[in-house]
Amino acid sequence: MADVVFSEGLVEADGFRIRYREGGAGAPVVYLHGAGGPRPNPAHDLLARRYRVIALEMPGFGESPENTRTQSIGELASTIARAVKNLGVDTFSLIGRSFGGTTALWLALQAPERVLALVLEAPGAFRPDGARMPSNHPLVVRLRGPARDPELQRRLRGLATPTLVLFGTRDDVIAPSMGRIYKELLPNGHLVFVYDAGHGISTDRPEAYTEVVVDFLERHEAFVISRERTVIHP
Amino acid sequence: MKVSFFETVRYCAPEALPHDWPVASGAYDREAGARAYEAMIERLRYVEAIGFDWVSVSEHHYSPRILTPSPILSAAFLAAHLKKITIALLGPIVPHSNPVRVAEELAMLDTMAGGRLVVGLLRGTSNEALTYDLNPEEARERTDEGMELILKAWTEPQPFGWQGHYFQYRTVSIWPRPLQQPHPPTFALGTSRESCEFAARHRLGCGVSYGPYEIMAKATRYYRERCAHYGWEPAPEQIVYRANMIVAGTDEEAHTLLRQQPDRAPFVMRSGVANALMTLDARNIAGEARAPIRAGALPTTFIGSPDTVVEQVRRAREVIGAGVIDISLHPPGSRDLDPLLRALDLFATKVLPRIRDV
Repeated sequence: MADVVFSEGLVEADGFRIRYREGGAGAPVVYLHGAGGPRPNPAHDLLARRYRVIALEMPGFGESPENTRTQSIGELASTIARAVKNLGVDTFSLIGRSFGGTTALWLALQAPERVLALVLEAPGAFRPDGARMPSNHPLVVRLRGPARDPELQRRLRGLATPTLVLFGTRDDVIAPSMGRIYKELLPNGHLVFVYDAGHGISTDRPEAYTEVVVDFLERHEAFVISRERTVIHP
Repeated sequence: MKVSFFETVRYCAPEALPHDWPVASGAYDREAGARAYEAMIERLRYVEAIGFDWVSVSEHHYSPRILTPSPILSAAFLAAHLKKITIALLGPIVPHSNPVRVAEELAMLDTMAGGRLVVGLLRGTSNEALTYDLNPEEARERTDEGMELILKAWTEPQPFGWQGHYFQYRTVSIWPRPLQQPHPPTFALGTSRESCEFAARHRLGCGVSYGPYEIMAKATRYYRERCAHYGWEPAPEQIVYRANMIVAGTDEEAHTLLRQQPDRAPFVMRSGVANALMTLDARNIAGEARAPIRAGALPTTFIGSPDTVVEQVRRAREVIGAGVIDISLHPPGSRDLDPLLRALDLFATKVLPRIRDV
């Protein structure tokens, strides 16, 4: 299959000029990067064979100027929601990786009617007590919140959005056991461990990652029902 | 009439459990689990002593309601502790199993149990498709092919290969073979046209469960018709009817007990998943479409005083043609064991002696 061509653009929201990469056609899928900023990701190419993938550079990350204005993760989430709206996208599926997973969670809490399905890739909203996070990016340090945010825990119990939580079995940044917290809290949450992947699941095992993400985005909770054809000889 | 006791392990949860299926395994209490398996053996020694012919186990997963995810392991455990009673393994869920492995383990078990094994093969309830990622649209065909391969592995004396639709083996030659020849008494379980047809074609028994007599009779009638088509007539003990039973001192008392039970299944799939699954999971009774069982409690078709229950067993024999009843006394998964033991006593003294000649 031919590679999908991604193009770059800028969109304004809350006074920020936000860079984004977009590729593919179909239902929109918004992707939020981790604390390290936007990175090349083979899973974006795979996802773009089925979806219109919009990978946003959150203000203060990547090549964007320092962001000293945003004071909370909720503010960042609402800026992203506006940026997506300004791209002409009302409803969409949302994927967030690590720090971007926390942002995605807040966005879904603020605008559940816009987020059709949520995928959290090694999300950083809950972290083991005393865990040392690798990023000392001032914006991340300012926004990532406590290891356990009681307000977030309370609100997640009411989030009906179909949510897939992925953790790599070799994640040495956020313990995969954090996944069970989301499963316990989210009424429509599903937890999947990706074998042999580290913290960067979509870059470590892009095909395995894309298969389960696409299936979930397409079928939501019904993705637990196997459709695999096992006929060997018709 | 032969009688079988359906053993579900009766896990008594010390605390309230979540209601979703699958039930979070973190809610499991290992001490309660250990007690349940220990008490099971005590109970079944009593069941054996009071004259039940069979004890049956089934395969269910991811909930405490029936705590036998590996029925073969359960049956082996029972066979080691109980010396006389027939072990009815009803049965391995065929479509998500390796049929050659099933054939090997059942042959081993039949031999170790001194030929006391009865086997039921089945497709499994709708939710079990999720257990091992079985495509529900393939379940029927995988069941038929798997059952046939199990029979072949038991009976073919020479090493053989299998070029199926769903299974492929270049070499099959199992050791040991079953002690009972050509194989243990075997049932195809289920009311579907396909299951009845398979049973008739392979001269197997037929097992139906839980439904009202007249509805179950549609399946067994069809089974007998197909047996006649293949030139044989099944013996009464080749038709098994599994059913819930509430027996009490009086009819009123039994119906009061029934009213005290929840009218919903204890653990149900979330509706989004259940709805999606039901669209893929076609079920039928002798060819007539039926809705899969979802959240409702299974019906109780033997209910009343001993006199009433004896009469109902006669009716089951007349209408369904069943020569074996496999009874679930007091609902499976019930946390209250005293009523079960009282019901066992009552059944043993006031019902069992009177249904032997049915």
